[in-house]
Amino acid sequence: MSWLPCGLYHEHYREDHAWWQTTFVKGKMLLLAIFAIVILPYLDLVAPDLGPYLLNIAVILLYTILAASGVQLLIGYCGQVTLGHAAYVAIGAYTCCLVLMHGPALAAMTNDPNPIVRTLAALFSLLMKAGLLYPAGIILAGLAAGLWCVIFGLPSAKVKGFYLIMTTIAGQWITVEFFITQYVSQIGGRQQAFTVLPEHFTIGPFTIDSDRKIYYLGLALVGLVVAVTANLLRSKPGRAWIAIRDNDIAAEAMGVNIVAYKLLAFFVAGAMGGLAGVYWLNFNYIISPEHFQWFWSLWWVGVILIGGVGSIQGTIFGSMFMVLVMEGLKALIVPLSGAFPELLDKFLFIKEALFGLAIALFLIYEPNGLAYRWWQLKNYFNLWPFSY
Amino acid sequence: MEIFLNLVISGVMVGSIYALVALGWVLIYKCSGVLNLAMGELTLIGAYVCLTLYTWFVKAIPQTTTAFMMALIGTLVIGAILGLATERVFLRKMIGEPVLSVIMVTVGLSFFFKGVVEFIWGTDTRVFTPEVFSKKPIPIWGKIYVDSVYLWSFVAAIVLLLIFVSFFKYTRWGLAMQATADDEMAALSLGVSAKFVYALAWAIAFMAAGVGGTLLGNVNGINISVGYLGLLVLPAVVLGGLNSVPGAIIGGIIIGVLQNLADGYLSEFTPGGVKEVAPLAFMVILLLFKPYGLWGWVRIERV
Repeated sequence: MSWLPCGLYHEHYREDHAWWQTTFVKGKMLLLAIFAIVILPYLDLVAPDLGPYLLNIAVILLYTILAASGVQLLIGYCGQVTLGHAAYVAIGAYTCCLVLMHGPALAAMTNDPNPIVRTLAALFSLLMKAGLLYPAGIILAGLAAGLWCVIFGLPSAKVKGFYLIMTTIAGQWITVEFFITQYVSQIGGRQQAFTVLPEHFTIGPFTIDSDRKIYYLGLALVGLVVAVTANLLRSKPGRAWIAIRDNDIAAEAMGVNIVAYKLLAFFVAGAMGGLAGVYWLNFNYIISPEHFQWFWSLWWVGVILIGGVGSIQGTIFGSMFMVLVMEGLKALIVPLSGAFPELLDKFLFIKEALFGLAIALFLIYEPNGLAYRWWQLKNYFNLWPFSY
Repeated sequence: MEIFLNLVISGVMVGSIYALVALGWVLIYKCSGVLNLAMGELTLIGAYVCLTLYTWFVKAIPQTTTAFMMALIGTLVIGAILGLATERVFLRKMIGEPVLSVIMVTVGLSFFFKGVVEFIWGTDTRVFTPEVFSKKPIPIWGKIYVDSVYLWSFVAAIVLLLIFVSFFKYTRWGLAMQATADDEMAALSLGVSAKFVYALAWAIAFMAAGVGGTLLGNVNGINISVGYLGLLVLPAVVLGGLNSVPGAIIGGIIIGVLQNLADGYLSEFTPGGVKEVAPLAFMVILLLFKPYGLWGWVRIERV
């Protein structure tokens, strides 16, 4: 909560909880919205080289935000540390992929002797006719990832802290390295990678195939996730989560059902991860277990730690920092590679080492993250010139 | 029955390597309360350093055993220096910070080390050439055979474990570490320097992990997957109890046996990957029923 500018007072409780409390902030948000919705996607009309490049970075940024917001919810607001979020992202991606790949075949099985299959087939053919197979896939992906997350969140009823971290790490390896690599990837007899053609991503009359449309879908998903998080946090579940994070025994004594709320947090976070997985599928068209390695789980935790734990802006700042710094690094390495050709081959390793160093140094020297600096900056200007 | 015994015995041998690494882990946790997720990278560094030293020494000294012993001693020295440096640069500033922050610092370190190792040594599998221990199976008892690599690794691990344990029991530094682990305040008031103990714990962890990585590298060759050892250590220490040194050793051996048995008996029912996942799955089940392990302290929390 930042300070309000001098001379501005709230007269209703409603104003206290508003997202944007001053005209200045509303104007700023409007400008941001105009930039994100109108300027950025149509930049290629003005700058044909820069526009698509920026749009690509924006898509990766949106994916990072989507994946990291689930982590933020669990770690930053509910205090349940997860180091295995890539598993839920993978479950979401694979669920959606299987729906898109095998949905049409299922819809054709209207004469199956099994009545359950017949009902499902009828349902799927209805969805196909309405062009809603992909939205159904998105919803199923969210549900599946959420439930999967709840399974590995179950030990949180009994253990916490380090022991819970252990179960989430185990969840990551069991899911991605065993369940998905050994079983799910074998479906259809095609080893490893699954691909989906761009024309399958249809929502009603629209096909999400161009960069611009993918960007808009990502923007919509991020908007949804941020709005859901923000609204949950100012209602009962959010207050319960924060109470659990701050002191779970005290929260239980105050009558918060901690097991139920922890599992709810796991479900919501997993569902957000599932959406991220769907989005990954949509802009890559290909998924394989290698895209959901443990590295990424840690990457997203690093994102929120750098951005700021327990802050929605923190997720966005952290994602921006990580994505932009990595792009900047790439831009730095490419000209240098003329002189040192081995740098380009070893870029991945440099990236890994620098990422690790960045996390460690941020935690040592800037433990509150970028969001805290932003908060300080805002307060400085709101209170200027009498900051005391 | 022979298969069973074979699996158990080679499990014990591999488990002794896990025990060595787990010992280093538990030491850091006991002394400084840091939950270290960078253990796998410490083993990687040790393994690669030893390999490099070995290839240098073996050119000068034709006798492989002597060269290997010297390389191992060199690894211990370099490990100790790196451990002291890591503690001084990164971990000392984190004393008293929240648990998650400290864990994530070690995660950051693990990425940093891994990136540096990959940058220097690349990702191809390397082996000790000429090989130090022969791969010839040695009959132990009846029809039970063991690769001599495993046997020698086992012997080396046991010797090192004995050295470390007697270090804790009989030397001044070891006693200071025990005192700090038991009650930090009391140790401080008796003039034990906590900073020194933390630094020592990291140095020993680096040394133990380095030797563990080297031994494992002799068995399978060295590549990035040696770092997976860092994950296998976690089930071992959870099983033994986070703050118990004997627990870590026995936990390591049990995990080694369990992993081998799961690989031997469950592999036929699955498409593969059991060996990697079985210890972790076992750990999840263990956490549900006995979260503080066999000998860990049960923490009673109050508001």
